[in-house]
Amino acid sequence: MVKHSRIFGVAGMVWVALTLAAIAYATRLALVVAPTEATMGNVQRIFYYHVPTSMLSLLFPYVNFVASLFYLYWRRRDPLRALTADAVAISAAEVTVVYSSICLLTGMLWGRAAWGIWWTWDARLTSMLLLWLLYVSYLMLRKLSSTGQTQTLAAVLSVFAAIDVPIVYMSIQWWRTQHPAPVFFGGADSGIDPSMMPAFVWNIVGWAMWGIFLLLFRYGLERRRQESEQASAQKAIEGSLEVAQ
Amino acid sequence: MKLSWIFGSSMGAHHLLASYLIVWLIQGGYAAWIAWQWARAGKQLQTTRSASSELGS
Repeated sequence: MVKHSRIFGVAGMVWVALTLAAIAYATRLALVVAPTEATMGNVQRIFYYHVPTSMLSLLFPYVNFVASLFYLYWRRRDPLRALTADAVAISAAEVTVVYSSICLLTGMLWGRAAWGIWWTWDARLTSMLLLWLLYVSYLMLRKLSSTGQTQTLAAVLSVFAAIDVPIVYMSIQWWRTQHPAPVFFGGADSGIDPSMMPAFVWNIVGWAMWGIFLLLFRYGLERRRQESEQASAQKAIEGSLEVAQ
Repeated sequence: MKLSWIFGSSMGAHHLLASYLIVWLIQGGYAAWIAWQWARAGKQLQTTRSASSELGS
């Protein structure tokens, strides 16, 4: 039987409290303390939510990727460990969909105000949409497939989906289209004003902590479901044995 | 600096407010969904276990 992991104890509560405090502080910095950008005005403040969540939406797919590799490795050798890896994989896929949805929606709202258009088939936007579609398909496969191979198929799909992550990241360096060039690590002209850095850094910290919380909470839920499925299977076996006697 | 500009009538103000609200709604909604499923799965697990122990006795 899968041993139930108790993640939502005192440590979880403390983590959530710290996370909410960090997000509240980061939001205050973004909306009140950070200076108004000269060209775009206040709408540029979308940056403080859009960029950190976009960066994180490119990190969680790797959690899903590594967990899927472990699942594929363990599925015959150690099925109990494989179940643990599978729970991490599905949790990371859902968190990826949450963060990439936010990235796309806040980007569209910013684009409409800054460029005058909601959407354009630019390299960054298209590759990000593709990433979102890949992880939505991963979740749909897991939800709708009724074969005994669902977890294996999903793990293989996640290995292919991870290939899109470096393409999304590099797209604004490889192809110069509508989306702005990289703000960080993009050469001599890249970077933001030092007075904007605290709001940006605190939003990365706050949303990363929230993402970790969601990942662990969702993992706990998946383990609970796995345990419930195993208990049901055991009950069915016990029931059939009683009938046989 | 006052926050009143965020409720202004310009497109920029509307889109900024909408962006922040969308983030909180999606993140909060997802966390609430996990919490609801967590409670449901716990109840289901308890029912299965008690039924299983009845079978055993």
